[in-house]
Amino acid sequence: MVHVLGVQLPDYQYARFALTAFYGIGHKTAHRLCARLQIHDKCKVRSLTPHQITELAAFLSSPSTSIPIPRFPLATPSYKPPPASTPLAVLKEETKKLSQRAWADPLRNIKIESEARRVVKDNIAHQRMIGSYVGKRHAMGLPVRGQNTQNNARTAKKLNRVDRRG
Amino acid sequence: MLALSVRQRVACQLFASTSSSPLVQTRSYATQPKKGQIVKQASQGFKGKKDTFSGQMEPAKKDKKMMAFQPLPVSQLSHPLFESDRPDTLNLQSFHPEMLTRVVESQALKFPHNDNDPFRIFGLPRNILVEFRLLSKPCSVIRSVTIDAINKLDAASEKNSKESRVVFTGPRGCGKSFLLLQALQYCNARDWLVLYIPRATNLVNSTTAHTYDMRTRTYLQPIFAYQTLQRFLKVNAPRLEQLRTQTEIEIERCPPVPPGTPLVELMNIGFKDQCHAPTVLDAVLAEIGKQTTFPVLLAVDDFQALYCKSHYRDQHFSAIKSYHLSMPRLLLEYASGKKSFARGAVFGALSMSNTTFPLPLELREALSLEYDRSYGPYVKRQRELVNYAHGLERLAVPGSLSVPEAASVFEVWMKDRAVPSKPNDELFLAKYSEASGNAGAFVWKGLLSSMSA
Repeated sequence: MVHVLGVQLPDYQYARFALTAFYGIGHKTAHRLCARLQIHDKCKVRSLTPHQITELAAFLSSPSTSIPIPRFPLATPSYKPPPASTPLAVLKEETKKLSQRAWADPLRNIKIESEARRVVKDNIAHQRMIGSYVGKRHAMGLPVRGQNTQNNARTAKKLNRVDRRG
Repeated sequence: MLALSVRQRVACQLFASTSSSPLVQTRSYATQPKKGQIVKQASQGFKGKKDTFSGQMEPAKKDKKMMAFQPLPVSQLSHPLFESDRPDTLNLQSFHPEMLTRVVESQALKFPHNDNDPFRIFGLPRNILVEFRLLSKPCSVIRSVTIDAINKLDAASEKNSKESRVVFTGPRGCGKSFLLLQALQYCNARDWLVLYIPRATNLVNSTTAHTYDMRTRTYLQPIFAYQTLQRFLKVNAPRLEQLRTQTEIEIERCPPVPPGTPLVELMNIGFKDQCHAPTVLDAVLAEIGKQTTFPVLLAVDDFQALYCKSHYRDQHFSAIKSYHLSMPRLLLEYASGKKSFARGAVFGALSMSNTTFPLPLELREALSLEYDRSYGPYVKRQRELVNYAHGLERLAVPGSLSVPEAASVFEVWMKDRAVPSKPNDELFLAKYSEASGNAGAFVWKGLLSSMSA
């Protein structure tokens, strides 16, 4: 079992699916996260290296302050790589020179766990504060989006409140 | 007493564990609970599970209990109907390279079984693996196209592999993968160095680790390279032990390998650390490309997958092209002639049944394959893929078996007791006509799916 930011990721699950255990991460975000961390689709959580887990935890703890990754240069069909004895510093320098600036990364704007729940709470609190219909319905514990209340409405009656759990 | 038919064998295999013997009688549901193990049984009636959030009760799921039927444990299955060892009724000659002439056309020959069997070590395409599990012995029928392929291999053994880059084409189920296996066995028996990739889709479908490398500017696949190196050494060990490096080889964070080092020692560097495996594999193939002692066969099934878009994504979520992945790039370089073996050939087999990686336009045009749709000049062709597909030679596998070839196939399955009804000429001709002679349809949809009494 791997624990990342308080969430348990079972070993036997694919990493791409296990990441959806975080509140605020769905399948699309999980796919993008795996691509960012160079985790292939069929990688299980038990196959993740400690470096990948550390990177994942570091990224998820603060997505907005993560370092933007440049677009690395890719070999053309006629590219001949330099010999293997080339020093790493030289390779890093060349890669940096040829890397292109990264475009806007949608992953930097994601909010997970407590931040995501706070956003939902704040939105409902705002609706209540301005005295809107939506806010009143949340306060009464009734459906908000125009559903029938003569019958059904069980979920709204169970879950809707001003300090609704996200 | 009749032994189990093929369909019953298939049903048993669904419950069998994965082992090397053809029929293993293991059924987990037959085992009794161990001593001291408490088996909890769900109580009858409505009993709810408390929902902590709302306080409402939910009905519990009822456990299934097998009251009337308790299967026998495996040790009590002593009836001859369950016997797994059957007498050998398939008396076939062995697949020997000297025998392969026009005389043995339409005859079924069994593949030899030895310690360094390339099938067992490299693996097989999925449909052929299932077929070989059903048959009592892996075998195949020698067709006229087999002799053509073998003649090409004999000619290629003296030439550079740049001049012998052949792709087997044909409709679905015509026998391209089988033909590639026959070529592989022939080369292995003739003392060639063989490298076989049974499922090239596994290189591009994001099932193996990938990592960006600054030096090669590609995404390395270290685990796949490591496994390929291991399998290559295991199959070709006696030949590789005779070869030595001809130039100095540099490997990252390792001292350079001097010329004259045995190739096996070079490969051991790749085994010690997986991250060196891609560089070592590249170097090994370059070295065996220079030597002229043994010809080399590079055989790739699902060849079209190398020319398709991969399922990998880079850090910015753009799709990674296949030639930016280390293993497909290596195979594409040998297939296009950018790298070559001094003696040998590159053989590929298309897979027309794979819808995830269909035949791309660039490869279709390079092989001059007909298509019912016409692609005009305004459809974009990727320049790099056109480059990689340039110079490939096509070997068309006939879409239908000839009657003698189909008769041999029928005889093999008949002797293996796969045909449920009485095997006679009428059944044979009926199934042959229904399949229009297509080998895959004849076996799977004709013989094995037959419900006639």
